Amino acid sequence: MTWWSLVLILVWLATFVAGQLFFKRAMELSSVTGFRNRKTVAFLGAGIVLMTISFFLNLGLLQRFDLSYLYPFQGLSIIIITLMAAIILKERLRLRLTIGTLLITAGVVLVSMS
Amino acid sequence: MTEKRPSGFANPWLQLGLNIICVVLYELLLKTGAKATADLSRSWWWTGITGLTSPLIWLAIVVIILDLMVWLYVLKYIPLSIAFPLSRVVDVLVPICCWLILKEEISPLRWCGIALVIIGLAIVAKPAARLEERL
Repeated sequence: MTWWSLVLILVWLATFVAGQLFFKRAMELSSVTGFRNRKTVAFLGAGIVLMTISFFLNLGLLQRFDLSYLYPFQGLSIIIITLMAAIILKERLRLRLTIGTLLITAGVVLVSMS
Repeated sequence: MTEKRPSGFANPWLQLGLNIICVVLYELLLKTGAKATADLSRSWWWTGITGLTSPLIWLAIVVIILDLMVWLYVLKYIPLSIAFPLSRVVDVLVPICCWLILKEEISPLRWCGIALVIIGLAIVAKPAARLEERL
C-alpha cells in the first residue's frame, strides 16, 4: 500500500463520518424548524456533498483493493467518532473504548500488512 | 421507544435483519462493479467516477438508498446503542462473503487482523453508539 492510498482511505472514512454527523444535525434541526430553514438546508447539502465524495473514493479504492482488505478499515470510523467526541464533547475516553480502539487499530495494521 | 412496536413485515427487528442483508448485498455489488471497471482509467481511478459505467454500481446505489430508509425506520423504534452493536454482524458476514462468493484469497495474517477488528468493534460498539447519540 502506498502513502497515497492511505491518504485516500483516511479521507474516505473522515468524509463518511462528517457527512453522517451533518445529516444528523440537519434532521434534528428539521424536526424543530422544518425544512424551510436555511441552516437545515445548508447542513443537509453539506452532508450530501461529503457522502458523495466518500462514496466515490470508496468506489475508486474498491477498483484497486480486495473488499476483505478495505472493509476492516471501516472500523477506524468508530475511532474517528470517539476522537471527535473526546475533542468536541470534552469526553474522557473510558477504559472500554480505549481497549477496543487499540484492538481495532492493531487489527487494521495487520490487515494493511497482508 | 415511545411508539408501539408494529408487527409483521413492519416489525423493527425484522427490518434490522433486512438492513444487515442490504449492507452485505451492496458491499458485494460495489466490489463486483468496481472490479469490472478497474482498468478504464489509469490516472483517474482514485475518483471512482468510472465505476458509474457499471450497472451493478447503480443497483448498489438503489440498495444503499433502500438500506438508509430501513435503517432510519429501525432507529425510530430501537435505540442506537442497541441497534448499532447488533448491526455490526455485517463485519463478520462481509469477510466471509468475500471468501465464499468473491473467492478472495484471505491470508492467515489478514484473518487475524479481521478478527481483532471484530473483537474491538464488539467491545466499543455500545459505548460508541452512546457517544454518537450525543454528538
